[in-house]
Amino acid sequence: MSTAEFQNLRILIADDNDSDRQILQTIVKKQGHQVFAASDGIIAVKLFEEEKPDMVLMDALMPNMDGFEAARRIKAMCGEDIVPIIFLTSLKDASSLADCLDAGGDDFLTKPYNRVILQAKIQAFARMQRLHETVQTQRDEISTHIDHMVREQEVAKAVFDNIAHPGCIDAKNIKYLLSPMAVFNGDMVLAAKKPSGGMYVLLGDFTGHGLPAAIGAMPASETFYGMTKKGFTIEEILKEVNKKLKTILPVGVFCCCCMIDLDFRKSMAKAWIGGLPDIFIYRKETKSIQPISSRHLPLGVLSNEKFNTEIQVLELAEGDRIYLWSDGIHEAENPNGEMFGTERLVQIFKESANPENLFDDIKRGVEEFTQAEDQSDDYTIVEVVMVNHEELDESEAAPGKDVAKSGPQMDWVFTYQLRPPSLRTFNPLPLMTHILMEVPGLRPHSGQLYTILSELYSNALEHGLLGLSSELKHSAHGFADYYRQRTEQIEKLVEETVTIILDHKPTETGGELIISVKDDGPGFDFESKKDNEHRTEGYSGRGIPLIRTLCSSLTYHDRGNHVQVVYPWSYKN
Amino acid sequence: MTDSNHIDMTALAELKEVMEDEFPVLINTYLNDSILRIAAIKEALGNNDPEELRRAAHSFKGSCGNIGALPLSELCKDLEQKGRDGNLDGTQALFDKICAEYEHVKASMEKMVG
Repeated sequence: MSTAEFQNLRILIADDNDSDRQILQTIVKKQGHQVFAASDGIIAVKLFEEEKPDMVLMDALMPNMDGFEAARRIKAMCGEDIVPIIFLTSLKDASSLADCLDAGGDDFLTKPYNRVILQAKIQAFARMQRLHETVQTQRDEISTHIDHMVREQEVAKAVFDNIAHPGCIDAKNIKYLLSPMAVFNGDMVLAAKKPSGGMYVLLGDFTGHGLPAAIGAMPASETFYGMTKKGFTIEEILKEVNKKLKTILPVGVFCCCCMIDLDFRKSMAKAWIGGLPDIFIYRKETKSIQPISSRHLPLGVLSNEKFNTEIQVLELAEGDRIYLWSDGIHEAENPNGEMFGTERLVQIFKESANPENLFDDIKRGVEEFTQAEDQSDDYTIVEVVMVNHEELDESEAAPGKDVAKSGPQMDWVFTYQLRPPSLRTFNPLPLMTHILMEVPGLRPHSGQLYTILSELYSNALEHGLLGLSSELKHSAHGFADYYRQRTEQIEKLVEETVTIILDHKPTETGGELIISVKDDGPGFDFESKKDNEHRTEGYSGRGIPLIRTLCSSLTYHDRGNHVQVVYPWSYKN
Repeated sequence: MTDSNHIDMTALAELKEVMEDEFPVLINTYLNDSILRIAAIKEALGNNDPEELRRAAHSFKGSCGNIGALPLSELCKDLEQKGRDGNLDGTQALFDKICAEYEHVKASMEKMVG
């Protein structure tokens, strides 16, 4: 009674024998507890309901309702609270005592009562009860915390979705499998159309889980979408994302990544893979797969000085398919602990009857292997199909309607000259596009304008100044050679320049943009090549005919080192 | 024959200590209750009902034990066993002994509480 743990309890005593009950009642009261007394089972159950005592001392044999039945009813009322029931009995045989426990009794006490044992038992059960209450409280707290965390994750997810919103992940040439809360598993899939008409697709797999893994996804996707919209190259985007992640993420957290730059007009793709499993190219014609291996460290590991943006050029044909995946698919385990592995994946490609179903075949293959119910939490797959560019153009953003019809930004000339250090390292297209987008009426034309600028600029730099031959670009091998020569030649520039002049004037129905690009190179005999350009086939040479279709005129001047296009535009409706 | 032949005086002293002022009330309760218990045993015997006999004897045994009337409790135990075995032979003799023993207990108790 003197121990610090002692607690005053409310105790129900049920015994039909008056003298017995009186004795017990007196003992228990003297121990400092509040007592409720009942002389049979029915009264006991009723009193229990009214008084909600902490503990019950119950005689086994009573008239009207015996202790066993009363105990069952009381236990049923308690729910998840523990209310100990101690049976009082002069029965001594093992099976009678067992009956007490079977009926939901927690212990028994034999008559005549021993006060010391009675007190010890009451206190032992009081301790158990407190422990149970603590566990219940903690359980409720944990559950509150979990609810809170889930709500926080939902908010974070909503923020992430807003950032990721401008993407084209639902384009008809993309299929993907990604858990709805994948951002917290560290997986992300980003896809966006380039202003020039191609598409970037990025699969990222951050180390870790939960918020730490999600933290990197936000700046990565924001950078990806922001820079894509402004016309930056795959190398520039990778470099910027790497720099951001390297700065933000703690050591040991990084992003295994594969980024694909798809050019639907030229039927080719560029790939950069850092730390992810081999991506697969499925060739429609040969029905074969070609694995492309990672050549780089994940994003967020190296400083930008050491970061390597070297890409692999993939020559594709219409209907070819590219598969990107996180290592979750290779590491998916079956109930025996075996991993799915690359061989099973390759087997699916071999057995698949129709390439259109490959994506689903893979999904099903993994599901059947793991025999788990919810796969999508653990791995991410993306399938991108090389399609004809015309199939995708229709879904491009429709021109905006609420554009300002006049303003100071309508009538101006902008001249921009790049000298060798800038030519080597700087991509002027995002800046040019940005300036043009200051003219509200031009915004719906950003794709076309980007294409025109990028073709004219790369012609001026690569053919005009560096003297590279577009013949080289007729094969994937030649592409590599072309880029090697480009790197070599660009270092040799001394004082050569490329000048871009943007000249915009308002017209009755809209405006007219004249783009001039001049280089210091030797030029070319444009008079004699004129007819030829229309017939040029292959990867290159499509540029000029395409521009002719986009502009009202394209003319060469001087010695062939100065090209000028006129791009008239008008407000729709 | 002294009171201690019929009542465990140590147990009773302990009970007195626990009950304090309530002790006389307890004794009276016991004595009143006993009349009912004995009547119940008698009725069971009259009905030749072993189960009823077992129950009644068991109940009386418990209260006698608690109060320290151990010889009486032992007799009740024997009677309870007879009821459990369904063997009513000699139960009347046992009941007579119980009544006699109870008279001793009652006398001692009444003396005690005045």
